Amino acid sequence: MTTRKPLARLKGGNNEGVVVLVLLVVVVLMTVANPEFLSFSNLFSIVRSSLVPTVLALGVLMVIISGGIDVSFTAIAIFAAYSTVTWVGPGGAGAVVLLVLACVVGAALGLVNGLVISTLRLPTLIVTLGTSTMFKGVLIAYIGAQYIADLPEAMARLGNANVLSIPSGGEVANLHVFVIPVAALCVLVWWVLSHTMWGRSLYAYGGDPEAARRAGFPVVRAQIILYTAVGVLAAVGGLMHVTLSRNANPQDLVGSELDIIAAVVLGGASIFGGRGSVLGTVLGVFLIQIIQNSLILVGIPSVWQRAAVGAILLLGVGVQALSAKRTSRKVFAYADEEVVAA
Amino acid sequence: MTPTERTTGRPTTTPGRVNDEVDARTRSLVSRVQMERGTLRMLVLTVAAFLLFTILNPSVFLDPLNIVNMAVAAPEIGLLAIAVMVAMLTGGIDLSVVAIANATGITISALSTHFPHAGGATTGLIVVVGFLVGLLGGVVNGLLISRVGITPILATLGTMQLFNGLAIVYTGGKTLYGVPRQLTTFGEATLAGIPLLFIVFVLAAVAVAVVLNRTPLGLKLFLQGSNEKAAQYSGIRLTRTLMATYALSGALSALAGVVIVARNPTASADYGSSYVLLVIVIAILGGTNPSGGFGTVTGVVLATLTLQIVQTGFNIMRLSNYEYAIAQGVILILTLVVDQVSRRRRVNKRATPRRPSEPKPEVAQ
Repeated sequence: MTTRKPLARLKGGNNEGVVVLVLLVVVVLMTVANPEFLSFSNLFSIVRSSLVPTVLALGVLMVIISGGIDVSFTAIAIFAAYSTVTWVGPGGAGAVVLLVLACVVGAALGLVNGLVISTLRLPTLIVTLGTSTMFKGVLIAYIGAQYIADLPEAMARLGNANVLSIPSGGEVANLHVFVIPVAALCVLVWWVLSHTMWGRSLYAYGGDPEAARRAGFPVVRAQIILYTAVGVLAAVGGLMHVTLSRNANPQDLVGSELDIIAAVVLGGASIFGGRGSVLGTVLGVFLIQIIQNSLILVGIPSVWQRAAVGAILLLGVGVQALSAKRTSRKVFAYADEEVVAA
Repeated sequence: MTPTERTTGRPTTTPGRVNDEVDARTRSLVSRVQMERGTLRMLVLTVAAFLLFTILNPSVFLDPLNIVNMAVAAPEIGLLAIAVMVAMLTGGIDLSVVAIANATGITISALSTHFPHAGGATTGLIVVVGFLVGLLGGVVNGLLISRVGITPILATLGTMQLFNGLAIVYTGGKTLYGVPRQLTTFGEATLAGIPLLFIVFVLAAVAVAVVLNRTPLGLKLFLQGSNEKAAQYSGIRLTRTLMATYALSGALSALAGVVIVARNPTASADYGSSYVLLVIVIAILGGTNPSGGFGTVTGVVLATLTLQIVQTGFNIMRLSNYEYAIAQGVILILTLVVDQVSRRRRVNKRATPRRPSEPKPEVAQ
């Protein structure tokens, strides 16, 4: 089947169309309940709160496409960012130095994951559960447990840098400058996933590890590179988190990994590997952030946040599971028809 | 083969067939010892940990009060770990165990504030209602996994958020005080110097072991975890087994919830947030295969005791909780590595057999 029905094309390869639909419904409902929702300041604040989750989600997306699950990325993120801030101190190091330092730390921690997972072929969830406790333990026991308010100057300055300021309703709505690097990262990851041999090898490995191996993909190397890259992405996300919240707290981020995984899965990535897209992931992150940020706008108390995210996640994966069931039944039906025809 | 056939057949057997028989017997014996090795290793580890901290600080570690404290702290974690193990046997996982335990605890605590002067019967009822709430959580997991067809990890990730979220909604994020007096008394009581809570834990562990090893349900669980397709084609109804698995896991978590409120008379939505990892570590350390088909209750109980000893030992050595967390991670990954290496060695050995032998089903003790 080369020509797809227009409806199927709208639905997208990974149900992106469905996510867009849900997102639109949520936006319309929220707007009806409270027109304030569509104001620039609210939209910009949703974008702002989506920045760090998007960067982290890109890493999770790549891992999930390869058929794994990583829960250590938040530990890596805060480890890299906090240790960078601690080592550099409040003095003046350039933004580039900070970024490189954090990325090196992130890459080193990601490499640990990659080596253990790829060479020993261990279950990714359990390995990363183990490494995440280790990373967090080492961070707090040996690097620092204190809240740091004096950030390096370059970070403090970036924390208040806006790319766009629009006056709305008496106050100024600011769009943070980090939208640009985050968008660039999204494009980069999309390009890598769809246009490089390494990116395609992730899909191949996630679809069927044995087939990928026999097809000649260097799967061990690909996995080591993957987890190192995820470490680097996590470090970037952690640095952005520290910059945006204008302080470094070693207890931050860890605990939010399941929200990020939920966003990626809602965005159509298959937990079994082999499927997933950057577009779907970004939509999934937006969906979760809108729900978390805006429940209060429509009059639902914030204590409902966690339950709402859980319900949305169950709904999303439930619909996916049911439609997968239906497709497999359809395949059997086709097979039966062919038998009859023959 | 009837007895007469066997007696008349015996003299005509060629030496080769006798050899075969002896060979098969030896092999089954060897494989049984290998199976037990996981448990044996765990026993060695438990004793080693106990000896280590005894040597490091005998006066504090061997203090009867310290031993009793360990025996009171271990049951809740052990029950949750067995719950996770049960889910892992079918190749799944249950991330919602702690959320379910807290739901039970909060229900009990909330009901007891409504009936502050409850008698024995009412207290019993309150505990039963709390337990049923937890069981319901397990049934929800079972429905989502077996009927809707969501992968266990995603389904329980979602229900973990949902149950935990609902607990936050109900409590408003605050800690509830107030637990039936009888339950607290029960939590403090001892029988022949052994805390009752520990006895409850051991009884529950024995019950689960009996279910797993001596009932059709247990066999189905192991078969489904070893090879789902084969189990399906042998006439095992996968959905029913899955339903029972997660209901059992929910029941054990609910029991853990009862133990938690009996031990410390408060309940909150975020109690034991670090337990999710800990109980997975314990299940794996106890020899459970996370991809299904193998695990022993004995192993998990021993692993629980070992980690409890390590935690208490770390406290006595004045090491921080974060250093204990590092130790947990290191122990988990080392166990995985050792398991993997020995499994590979066994597979390599098996890859060059003299004659094709029937694979034996792994039976857990």
